[in-house]
Amino acid sequence: MTIQAVRFDPDKDSAPRTQTYEIPFYDESMVVLDALNYIKSHIDGSLSYRWSCRMGICGSCGMMINRTPKLTCNAFLRDYWPRPITVEPLSNFPIIRDLVIDMDDFLHKLKSVQPWIIRQQDIPLGAREHRQTNEQIDDFRQFSQCINCMLCYAACPVYGINGEFLGPAATALARRYNLDSRDEGLKKRLPVIGEAEGIWECSFVGECSVVCPKGVDPAKAIQQTKLDTTMRFVLPYGNRE
Amino acid sequence: MTTEVQAAPREYGWRMPAVWWARQRHYFLYMLREFTAVPMALWLLWLLVEIQRASNGPTHYSPHGSPWFVAFSVIVLGFALYHSYTFLKLAGVIIRLKIFDRPIPSGAIVLAVFGTWAVASAVVGFVLIWFSR
Repeated sequence: MTIQAVRFDPDKDSAPRTQTYEIPFYDESMVVLDALNYIKSHIDGSLSYRWSCRMGICGSCGMMINRTPKLTCNAFLRDYWPRPITVEPLSNFPIIRDLVIDMDDFLHKLKSVQPWIIRQQDIPLGAREHRQTNEQIDDFRQFSQCINCMLCYAACPVYGINGEFLGPAATALARRYNLDSRDEGLKKRLPVIGEAEGIWECSFVGECSVVCPKGVDPAKAIQQTKLDTTMRFVLPYGNRE
Repeated sequence: MTTEVQAAPREYGWRMPAVWWARQRHYFLYMLREFTAVPMALWLLWLLVEIQRASNGPTHYSPHGSPWFVAFSVIVLGFALYHSYTFLKLAGVIIRLKIFDRPIPSGAIVLAVFGTWAVASAVVGFVLIWFSR
């Protein structure tokens, strides 16, 4: 099977180029990550890419497979056979080397929404439990499935055009904590998610939700947050805790 | 002792291709959806011109009635209905209401929103037809 992988050596190349490899396709369960590992082990050890768990949990092997953002551990060769597969680094991010992108911008944005439980006053460990009903958990459960794979950022043309956009995953995770009954950090997150480059930059392309490998719906999180922030602004006492 | 200072690795910056919207069907449909707002804006501008003319008295009011404008209006009506449909359908996704701690199904919310839209349209239509007689 033919694999066309993007190569970029910052010390030699002025722009990314494509290199073609032929790999044996002998097992129906082979995924694109297996093909890349075969290339690295048997054909060209200089090919660089990120990967870790091989089971769609760590979110580190996201790449563009035939121009669609996918986890390479979750993209089966049988779905593309006999056509060649083009593997590119995730769109909308600077390329460090070959298929490795610079994720600093995403990590900075993720940290800016403080995706952890914020309490105004911490209760000492062992003092009491933070109990939640099933309904309360259902409010945010799907948003908590995000694995930070950045496929949604690669699929988002708004982020591609305006790199200042907070983006889908960061907003979905902010929503996950804002909806958590244990959390009291909404007012700390609002200045980030409510600004012009936050939720209001989104024009609802919707592709972020289509490509998410974990079934998270970031587009829904963004639209819900738009409505919530508007209601907080419009309704009397909307800004109270 | 010497200290070796290494230059930061050079990266290849991302550049959005000009034809990004033509690369995927979903992106193309998104752009199509966004561009339907342009003829709607033109039609509304023309409506404002006609309202301004009407405010100067019946003799100055001359509504555009050419077949081309009627055809254009029908197309714009289609765009407006499409935008209304997609916007109202979204209500089921983004509106979260609870009664006695139980979430209201999104289907019920969508039904209520479309029902309100139908009633509001009927009222506006009635007022326009009644007062234009």
